[in-house]
Amino acid sequence: MDSAPSKRQKIDHSEPSSENVLQSTTTAGLSKHRIFVLEAEELLDEAALDYAATFPSADALLGDIKTTIESIEPHEPLPLVEAALRLEKKHRVQVPFPEPRPPKDCNYKAAFAKLTQFNVVGSYVSKTMVRTQKDHAIDMIFVVPAELLQEKDFLDLRYFYKRAYVLAVVAASLKKKYGADADLSFEHLNGNPLCPILSLRPKDKETQDLQNYRIRIIPCSPDGFFPKSKLHLGACLTRKADEKESAPPAKPTPFYNSTLVAEGCSLAYLKTIRQIEKKCASFKDACILGRIWLQQRGFGGAVSHGGFGHFEWALVLALLLKGGGDGRGDAVLSTSLKSTQLFKAVVQFLSVTNFAEKPYVLGKGDLEAPSDSGPVIYDADRQLNIAFKMSPWSAAALHQQAKWTRSLLNDGTVDQFSPTFILKTDFPLYSFDLVARLNHYGSFDQAAEVDSRGKVWQFGSKVYRILKRALQDKELGERARLIHIRTPESSPWPLDERPKKKKSAGVEIGILFNPENMARTVDRGPTAGPNAEEREECARFRGFWGGRAELRRFEGDTIRETVIWNSKSPVELCEEIMRYILNLHLRIGVMDEDMTFYGGAIQDLLPLEPTDSAVFNATKKAFADFEKDIRELEDLPLHVRRLAPICPELRHASVKLPPLGPNKSAPRPLDTVVSFEASGKWPESLAAIQRTKVAFLLMIGSLLEKSKEGKVRTLVGLEDAKCEIQNLAFLDVLYESGPSFRLRIHSDLEETLLERQVKDKTQEQHVRTRATALLATLRRFHTHLPFHSQTISTFVTRFPALSPTIRLLKQWFNGHKLSYHFTDDFVELVALNVFFSPYPWDAPSSANTGFFRALLFLSRWDWRSEPLVLDTSGDMSQVDRAAIETRMEAWRKIDPMMNHTVLFVATSHDTTGLAYTSSEGFVKPSKVVAARMTALAKSACQVVREEGVELEPRRLFVPTLKDYDIILHLNSKAAKGTQKTYPSNGSEGVDGERERHSKFKNLDERTGKELLPLAQHPAEVLLDHLSAAYSGPLVFFRGALEDMTIGAIWNPQVQKKKFRVNLPASYKPGAVASAQESDDDDEERAVDVDLNKEGILAEIARIGGDVIERIEVKGF
Amino acid sequence: MAPCPPTIGGFSVLPVTIPPLPSFPRSVLHYLYVRRNAPKIPAVDDSRRLFLTNVPVDATEVHLRIVFATLVGVGRFESVTFEEDRRESRTDAQPAQAARLSAHSKKRKRENEEAERAAEEAAACLPSTWTRPLRKSGSTAVVMLADEKSVDQVLKAIAKVHKSKKYPSWGDVDKFGAGKAPPPLGSNWLKAHNRLSYPDKDTLQTSIDAFSVLFAKKEQEAAEIAKRMRNEPDEDGFVTVTRGGRNAPASKNEAEEAKRKMIEKDEKKKEELTDFYRFQMREKKKEEQAELLKQFEEDRKKVWAMREKRGKFVPKS
Repeated sequence: MDSAPSKRQKIDHSEPSSENVLQSTTTAGLSKHRIFVLEAEELLDEAALDYAATFPSADALLGDIKTTIESIEPHEPLPLVEAALRLEKKHRVQVPFPEPRPPKDCNYKAAFAKLTQFNVVGSYVSKTMVRTQKDHAIDMIFVVPAELLQEKDFLDLRYFYKRAYVLAVVAASLKKKYGADADLSFEHLNGNPLCPILSLRPKDKETQDLQNYRIRIIPCSPDGFFPKSKLHLGACLTRKADEKESAPPAKPTPFYNSTLVAEGCSLAYLKTIRQIEKKCASFKDACILGRIWLQQRGFGGAVSHGGFGHFEWALVLALLLKGGGDGRGDAVLSTSLKSTQLFKAVVQFLSVTNFAEKPYVLGKGDLEAPSDSGPVIYDADRQLNIAFKMSPWSAAALHQQAKWTRSLLNDGTVDQFSPTFILKTDFPLYSFDLVARLNHYGSFDQAAEVDSRGKVWQFGSKVYRILKRALQDKELGERARLIHIRTPESSPWPLDERPKKKKSAGVEIGILFNPENMARTVDRGPTAGPNAEEREECARFRGFWGGRAELRRFEGDTIRETVIWNSKSPVELCEEIMRYILNLHLRIGVMDEDMTFYGGAIQDLLPLEPTDSAVFNATKKAFADFEKDIRELEDLPLHVRRLAPICPELRHASVKLPPLGPNKSAPRPLDTVVSFEASGKWPESLAAIQRTKVAFLLMIGSLLEKSKEGKVRTLVGLEDAKCEIQNLAFLDVLYESGPSFRLRIHSDLEETLLERQVKDKTQEQHVRTRATALLATLRRFHTHLPFHSQTISTFVTRFPALSPTIRLLKQWFNGHKLSYHFTDDFVELVALNVFFSPYPWDAPSSANTGFFRALLFLSRWDWRSEPLVLDTSGDMSQVDRAAIETRMEAWRKIDPMMNHTVLFVATSHDTTGLAYTSSEGFVKPSKVVAARMTALAKSACQVVREEGVELEPRRLFVPTLKDYDIILHLNSKAAKGTQKTYPSNGSEGVDGERERHSKFKNLDERTGKELLPLAQHPAEVLLDHLSAAYSGPLVFFRGALEDMTIGAIWNPQVQKKKFRVNLPASYKPGAVASAQESDDDDEERAVDVDLNKEGILAEIARIGGDVIERIEVKGF
Repeated sequence: MAPCPPTIGGFSVLPVTIPPLPSFPRSVLHYLYVRRNAPKIPAVDDSRRLFLTNVPVDATEVHLRIVFATLVGVGRFESVTFEEDRRESRTDAQPAQAARLSAHSKKRKRENEEAERAAEEAAACLPSTWTRPLRKSGSTAVVMLADEKSVDQVLKAIAKVHKSKKYPSWGDVDKFGAGKAPPPLGSNWLKAHNRLSYPDKDTLQTSIDAFSVLFAKKEQEAAEIAKRMRNEPDEDGFVTVTRGGRNAPASKNEAEEAKRKMIEKDEKKKEELTDFYRFQMREKKKEEQAELLKQFEEDRKKVWAMREKRGKFVPKS
């Protein structure tokens, strides 16, 4: 906008007036936002937990436990080890000491004093639990009395030993009391190996079944007992006994220190949260929303779940409401905000603060943290790093998830609610392009463990550091957007045992590709130069990459350190790099079973080579040549306006690669359409236009043959036309060098005339219906498909993973014999949709994730009431979308049984919603088939969910033949034979198989003759005819054209009919009815007839002849 | 197999045995339903015709000829017209003008002229791409027999067949006689279709030329009729408006274009006056608010509807 005075704008109407501005505010996303709020309210209602039902008699039990614990007799100090032994002997309770266990000769004393401070904390008091939680627990804390502790106990796990002892004493007394009525066990608080707690799962009084909830009894330290100044993140508080004072300063132990601080903060946080709950009415709801959001993304308070759970969410939110961020201390959020607003605010906070890289301070204060302390969200008031349980990878993942959700919440065009709260996103197959499992911890230095997080975690962090350097190096170009590591969960153990040493359950690694860089085969490192800096860089590079690093000369005479990889596809490349680098640094992967990679198996189903796109490009190049040849024809009466491809092969979307170069089988020309400049010469009659087109094709053919003599062969083929006014012919152009194209002509006048017929109310109904179907076909061929081809071609280059995703998805449709009922373009749009609205993730970066998410979309798409809208040109307004929805509603009202409109798919080019799901006047697919697609996708997703990474992808592609009533087994030899036809010589060749075929090549008449192209694939012709003949009684299912089994099911609605003329199929007189009817003299009465199934099958056998080998019928 | 009634709803039932095939090795019965032809618009030869329904999909004239030969002996069967053949009409191939005017034209054509025209039209047809068509399952056909007596005989023979259980056989190759067998189905049929889809270029060109000649002729005829009918009142005293008069109506295209332009002009005029007065702005604002409220209600309804479909609001596990 220019700086024109506002007065002038009012007069000038061409300016974007107030109207436009208002429109944009009322429409853009507002409606979606409103719905989001309403839906969130519903969710809160739905998720609310019935506390009385979930925790029957919990309050009484809690009181009971409290009195039990209070009544424990104190005892005088004893040496720790001796006290532990006594406890074990007397009560059969093992003290759950953390590792390393106290040495035998330690001289700490353990005592017990009366416990006085109890509290129930956590979401039970706040009432912020939800129904879908994995398990429900009441947290009860007691404070370890100060008189049992010494100030120096913060050193060397001493506090934790004493804490464990106190807990064991409590456990012993509770065991005595509840041994029979409850299940008691130890577990680690949030998987923190320093903090064992007691978990008590009560039994139902009557049935003796275990209840669905448990009570967690958690010891904690008195608030402020330990000097916080000594517990800062940089301090090292665990020293080895053998360490000398003179040794270099030990590594800091941030995790240990933070655990100690957290031990003392339980009550303080309880207070803080209670205060905020009072001040801010929607705080609880926002916490519930946060809990659900985290839960759906697999985050939780436990170390193995990322260390950011509901409690951390509540704390961050509370501190944002109270203190504010960035060390300034002003409140960031207002307490009067609504729950959804608070939720969005926290998501926003998590998406913009990258606290994994740079510590973030909440409240007024300052923080000096060592650089490698991991993710830090520092609560300045209590001097605690809230994120201390988080790992660098979980912080990165949380950051990424928050970013995705934020972009989702900013996108006003899609359903914001389901991806945010309903969809479960932490299935590795949906989230990661490559999943690997390390079964072996490699060479591991026990002594290196200082920070008490446990061996597995330590190992994971090492793997992470190496992979991050290898795959996320900014200078080389990031190969991966996200590296995720999942460590096994810690599990509870019985009171009389020691915590189980984990069997090597393995570490799971998930990699999310950066599709632009993952396919890179040459890594260019630093330039090798003479100066010291460069030399150092090179040494570092060599140090990391080891023997694979070599010097290479590149263009511009630069010499660089380089790593060359041998694999081709992104998945294989990633695997190669991981195997190499982990082996190099950690000695993992020496044995094959050390490392398992998942996700590669899908490659076997459909070999997706990186060279595929070169083949597609070559085909496109051939098309460009063809276009040039056509445009260069001189004697054409009209100028070519546009020559456009309309087949999947020319948009990187066919399952099979288009053949390159000369090949032996019959050519299958690629479909293209041509339109000419507007002309008044077309005759004003549809039939005449069609004949003119044939003449035109003949002319183009002969001109082409003349101009490219010897290099090209042209043939005019006839369509299998039903009437005179539809397209009658096409021109096949066969190049000697291999490629072949099929040309159809578009005439503007034809469209106008048909439109006129459709609108003309004086015409007979059947004429108008026919015109409508013809017009739809015409528009499909000459408007929608060219646009669609262009769109897909554009997005294939924008999203490298789109082409393989489409092809995999088509393969799936083929596998389940659905392809016959779906148009190619529909499947392509479904795949594209996964890239357009990828929420809750972002656009897939490999075929695997793209495919799985496309299946997920199909399984969830409620096509009965929702249209699929793709904004392919990027300028679809809210009004357009609303119009599409209205149109769909209107269709559903007109056609509630969905006989004529089923799937509703609209794009920027076609807002009618039917162009991609109908063909030749028929709806594709019908309701039955669409329902089958959804059912199949649902069960596929179920399998994906259940099997996880262990999934054998082949399972998803295997059809279940038992669903079909009839299976036609084709004879593959005869079917292949039908694809080879030769031009007949003269008139006698009508049924020319009587031509002489000799065994000897030189006597065979066919030698030297060229194969005819396929006007239509014979398999298609056969099935089309069967479908047309039996459109009433049978629905046929077939996958790819090469599919040798065709399934079919009987239509249950036409099994029995009243006799009349023009029945929908072949019927036989009903057996029972006939007996009665013969007595009846009344001949006019309607008589029942049954479907003559055997008769129909015999007919099919006759039609198929030698092509059908066997007809398998269910039930015979 | 249950006994089959000799008649059903006015039709005689004619069971036909279908010989087994290797891919479906069972011998089954197909049922043809036959009655005298009695169309709504009676024709001269109706008494010689039989109406058949539930014709097998692969039926050809030869097939039916054999069936009738087994029933009443050779020589009674004359011809058959299938459902698809009867429906075909060629009115599409006329120029638009001719189609419109032919309704008004009362001139009777002489017979030889008609025959000539039929031959021309046949020449203008594109060659068929099928050696043998398939019928739709359950379709009908009309059989012409030699004389009226044959019709009675056939119906009698059908009644007899029920007693003797000697049903005629379908597609009995032996009876076809040399060279008379219909072209085979199966792979040969598919291959022949592909071959026929690519006719000889010269044949194609000839047919197209024939069509253009015919089309031009028709156009000319139409023009003549139009000329004749101009200024010639019909029996009710009306004069048909035809193209080419002194004040000839513009072509449809031009008329449409003009109309579009007029509408555009009107719209532009209207647009200039919106947001001109204050009250317009005020009203607009009110409308917008009402719209917002309405949308809110709609959204709420939507959410309610979603809740009806239980499970929408439960986070997946």
